[in-house]
Amino acid sequence: MSAQAERRTAPPAKKGAEPRGPRAPVGERLAAWRDQHFYSFFSSLGRLAARPWATLLTVLVLGFAIALPLLFWVVFDNARELSGGLREAREITLFLKPALDARHADAFAAELRRRDDVAAVLLRTPEQGLAEFRDLSGFGEALDALQSNPLPSVLVVTPRDSGASEDPPLVAAMQADTRVDLVQYDAAWRRKLGGILHFGERVVAVVAVLLALATLLVIGNTVRMDIQARAAEISVMQMIGASNGFVRRPFLYAGLWYGLLGAVFALLVVVVVEVALAEPVARLVESYANRFALHGLDPGVAAAVAAASALLGWCGAWIATARHLAAGRPA
Amino acid sequence: MIRFDNVSKRYLTGLDALAEVSFEIEAGEMAFVTGHSGAGKSTLLKLVSLAERPTRGYVTVNQRELARVRRRGIPQHRRGIGMVFQDHRLLTDRSVFDNVALPLLIAGTSRTETAKRVRAALDKVGLLAREKASPLALSTGEQQRVGIARAIVAKPPLIIADEPTGNLDPQLSLEIMNLFAEFGAVGTTVLIASHDLLLLKRMHKRVLVLDHGRLVDDYRPVRAA
Repeated sequence: MSAQAERRTAPPAKKGAEPRGPRAPVGERLAAWRDQHFYSFFSSLGRLAARPWATLLTVLVLGFAIALPLLFWVVFDNARELSGGLREAREITLFLKPALDARHADAFAAELRRRDDVAAVLLRTPEQGLAEFRDLSGFGEALDALQSNPLPSVLVVTPRDSGASEDPPLVAAMQADTRVDLVQYDAAWRRKLGGILHFGERVVAVVAVLLALATLLVIGNTVRMDIQARAAEISVMQMIGASNGFVRRPFLYAGLWYGLLGAVFALLVVVVVEVALAEPVARLVESYANRFALHGLDPGVAAAVAAASALLGWCGAWIATARHLAAGRPA
Repeated sequence: MIRFDNVSKRYLTGLDALAEVSFEIEAGEMAFVTGHSGAGKSTLLKLVSLAERPTRGYVTVNQRELARVRRRGIPQHRRGIGMVFQDHRLLTDRSVFDNVALPLLIAGTSRTETAKRVRAALDKVGLLAREKASPLALSTGEQQRVGIARAIVAKPPLIIADEPTGNLDPQLSLEIMNLFAEFGAVGTTVLIASHDLLLLKRMHKRVLVLDHGRLVDDYRPVRAA
């Protein structure tokens, strides 16, 4: 062995063992971890900003995908509230046989008023009915051509509230009564309305799940393309010792940003639609003399939507990076 | 520092890249691997950095048997190696400073310490003034020096380089090699693959010669007159 070789090998271990020494104290490692997250957080945002059009396009697609179920939800939420007002209506409307004259109708009304389960009875004579119909329908002239009044007497019965959810026994009794032609009880169609609303809610839920999946895929695919564009950079990072977590992190943050920006845009769409519809809805409601007012998303729901969307973005990015990392590693 | 025990590597294509190679490089030693193209130089370096696993035999780096380093341990293993590539592989979307800082960022070094070490590394390769430049604005020789700064910034005990002067003219090549020799002189182990025999001759260092995957010569220089 030459002198030069000896000189080279003489001062060896000094540096050799150093980098694999004991790990840094916890505080320092925590600070480093925080630094790495800060780095990923801002570098991912910077990268989105560096390609504004591509980012905007992705965010718009996501925004509309998220806005759709949100708008459905707003509509059904309002419909539910509207039906809540109708639920108050408990009147039973009795259409009496046309053969029954005014005197018998009066007697029938008096008989009903004596019942324990009846709170009030309103009698509307055929004449009142005809006048009302003439006013509302606009068939005035056609009605003039009628020789006689075809309308029956109508009794509007308000039952005493028993608190029970089923039909009051009064309804069955009236249906059996020979003097009654037809019993119209609102609860029956209210139940149908309830069914429709329930169906609508389910539709909203299913559409929301499907579009959440779409959101996941759109973000996953966007991140996948992002990864492909930066495959060389990723391989360099891996060669110089970057862990999977380090490689993955900026993409996870990018997914998070996509999800969050998409949700913000979706909420913006909802607000715009609300503003656009507020005036005609108000007029429509007014014409029905209803005290109903259109309401939008409350801030809690909006925040939940944004958080859920950001989470979906994170998950979509995770799937995309996991696939790339699994494929790109030597044994 | 590096020990190969009867190492063979056969790729899935059936190509025998290395056959029964054994050698040992001491800590602080500087050595070259040479041979014709396809002789197995790159494969040898890949086995050290765990970019590949040997088909047979054992590779030991820094007293660690690499067969026992699992997938999860690979990043940690690579942080102990400064790697220099022929095409330098700098990230063109960030500055020279950020490129050199990358290994420290990965290792989780604090920001003040990072700045200090990056400047020290850039100073060593003579590029302190260019820290804010984009790698694209540098000459090929300067780019390779940035690549070297990146390899040494984390003070790894081992530096490996695959044809680091492959794209450089003889004058620049010699400068780069002398830079590597300086690190060898301060105790860092350096292993360089190169087919530039003329250059190797001028360096007066140990040379491992590969031929079709076999180690055919292990030349140790006597002191130059």
